[in-house]
Amino acid sequence: MPAMNFNFLCPGPAAPAGRSVGIIGAGPSGLAAAGHLSCLGYQVEVYDKLPKPGGLMLFGIPGHRIPRQRIADATRRMEREHGVVFHPQTKICCSAPMFEEEGDHFCREVLGLKDLVMRHDASIICTGSWKSRRMGIEGEGLAGVYSGLEFLFPIRAARYASAKVKTPEVKGKDVIVVGAGHSAVDAAHGAVGLGAASVTMLYRRTAREAPCGSYEIERLKEMGVVWRELATPLKVLGSESAESLEARIGGEVETLPAQAVIAAIGEIATPPFAKELGLEEVRKGEVHWLHMTAIENVFVAGDALTGPSKIGKAIYSGLKAARSLANWLDLKAQNRLAEYAYDDLVAKDERFRK
Amino acid sequence: MKTLHIDYSKCIGCETCEFVCRFVHSTPRIMMTRTTDGLMMPLYCRHCEDPNCARVCKQGAITRDAHGAMVLEPLKCRGCVSRACMLACPFAAMLETDKGVMLTKCDLCAERRGRGMGPACVDMCPCGAISHADASELAALDTPEARAAEALVLAHIRPGSGPSGAKGS
Ligand SMILES: Cc1cc2nc3c(=O)[nH]c(=O)nc-3n(C[C@H](O)[C@H](O)[C@H](O)COP(=O)(O)OP(=O)(O)OC[C@H]3O[C@@H](n4cnc5c(N)ncnc54)[C@H](O)[C@@H]3O)c2cc1C
Ligand code: SF4
Ligand code: SF4
Repeated sequence: MPAMNFNFLCPGPAAPAGRSVGIIGAGPSGLAAAGHLSCLGYQVEVYDKLPKPGGLMLFGIPGHRIPRQRIADATRRMEREHGVVFHPQTKICCSAPMFEEEGDHFCREVLGLKDLVMRHDASIICTGSWKSRRMGIEGEGLAGVYSGLEFLFPIRAARYASAKVKTPEVKGKDVIVVGAGHSAVDAAHGAVGLGAASVTMLYRRTAREAPCGSYEIERLKEMGVVWRELATPLKVLGSESAESLEARIGGEVETLPAQAVIAAIGEIATPPFAKELGLEEVRKGEVHWLHMTAIENVFVAGDALTGPSKIGKAIYSGLKAARSLANWLDLKAQNRLAEYAYDDLVAKDERFRK
Repeated sequence: MKTLHIDYSKCIGCETCEFVCRFVHSTPRIMMTRTTDGLMMPLYCRHCEDPNCARVCKQGAITRDAHGAMVLEPLKCRGCVSRACMLACPFAAMLETDKGVMLTKCDLCAERRGRGMGPACVDMCPCGAISHADASELAALDTPEARAAEALVLAHIRPGSGPSGAKGS
């Protein structure tokens, strides 16, 4: 199968333009932006905390849905033909403590955002949306209770560094998956694959309203997964680790055996420096330069900006941020920024200057 | 003579094709649809051998270019209210827009082909589900899995006509 082509906007290598751009995060949005900018002849450097570029296309979504080789070949072509430099296992950090999100334990190097911003003419933050939403119920802290990504990430990552990650132990256990989106389907699929004794999915609405669609649910049922709708989890019971889950199903309260509970109910964006970068304002569109943060040469794109979306939207967002960044650098080089509506909202942040 | 082929059995409904087409052409010429049972799939132009759209257009605005792509020539199109081409296309691939002649369709990225590149959606589909294929390559792409998945999509856009009860492999 031919590789994906993130450099689809140019027929071949571009002449060097003498500009340098840093991209944080090698998911679909970061790779799309890197492809666009390297097609303009920019020197592009991509930083990612994981050992391989691809983001959730590689470490979230199962390989039977996206062929890994197609992604690996694509990033190799970016390196060889378009001079893109990848810095794997490099986390761009912030004030937050380490080892907080999935995948942090892969880092070899930690760079501050400030180092990065000063190293390049401009940067784009494409760090995705990895912090899992919690159910907010009693017993959630018990061993055996996972978020969707906590459960799925080690399964995908084990092939890259088996010593560092522990695949969740669900063999012979009764597993309950809460939710009905992409990650819930993948988690249920994963649990069946790891040899769970039973897999039950709980969803607060009906199959017709499920984000993954009733077709996927039928496929899971064919694999032996039990589907329970109009179901809300109330409490995880157990002394040290999960033993059962109390849930309201259709109006009745039931206690279901569960030695593992996977709450795949969505992720929230955790970009480094969210507050300093004024991301809330960027989200609301209260900026005068598309995709630009409160630091004038730092842009943001993909799920880091929008919250969890889909590959297509993330790619589109990365492409638009890249175009905006290139336009901005062009006008800046011509000293023409003043002609455009570009005011105090896009503050000049002194902390990031020498 | 090349055309576009999507193997729906490989498609995960990620919308990349639609968004990449939108980035390149401002208005997408490939459009996602969601079937009643929740499958997301793109609808696209097959650049048919005997295209209904070209036959019904009184202005002769849809013609075949040198590479075999069926292209809409905006200069000839009157954007007529009957929208005969839209109604005639069995694949729902003539799209309404709010710009110009109010209609658009896939031209297999004509401008890109002129610069030695291929269709953008083919390059960017993460799953390799889209091919820019020669007539001679089509048979190999038409696997039983691909055919079963396509039947689901066609049953959705042509209610009553397809094997509506059919499910994928
Ligand atoms: C289980 C699951 C299944 C999904 N299935 C589908 C599907 O079928 N179809 C679909 O369209 N979408 C699906 N999605 C959603 C899709 O994967 C995302 O919307 C998409 O990947 C977002 O792209 P992104 O580039 O914004 O971020 P990501 O893909 O999340 O990439 C972000 C990258 O940034 C890196 N990073 C984060 N923080 C730092 C830091 N501080 N320093 C350095 N690097 C950092 C991460 O390691 C990661 O590689 C799924 C998501 C999940 C979780
Ligand atoms: S071939 Fe080009 S114009 Fe046609 S759908 Fe794909 S990207 Fe759009
Ligand atoms: S890009 Fe490929 S996988 Fe995604 S919706 Fe289009 S055809 Fe399907």
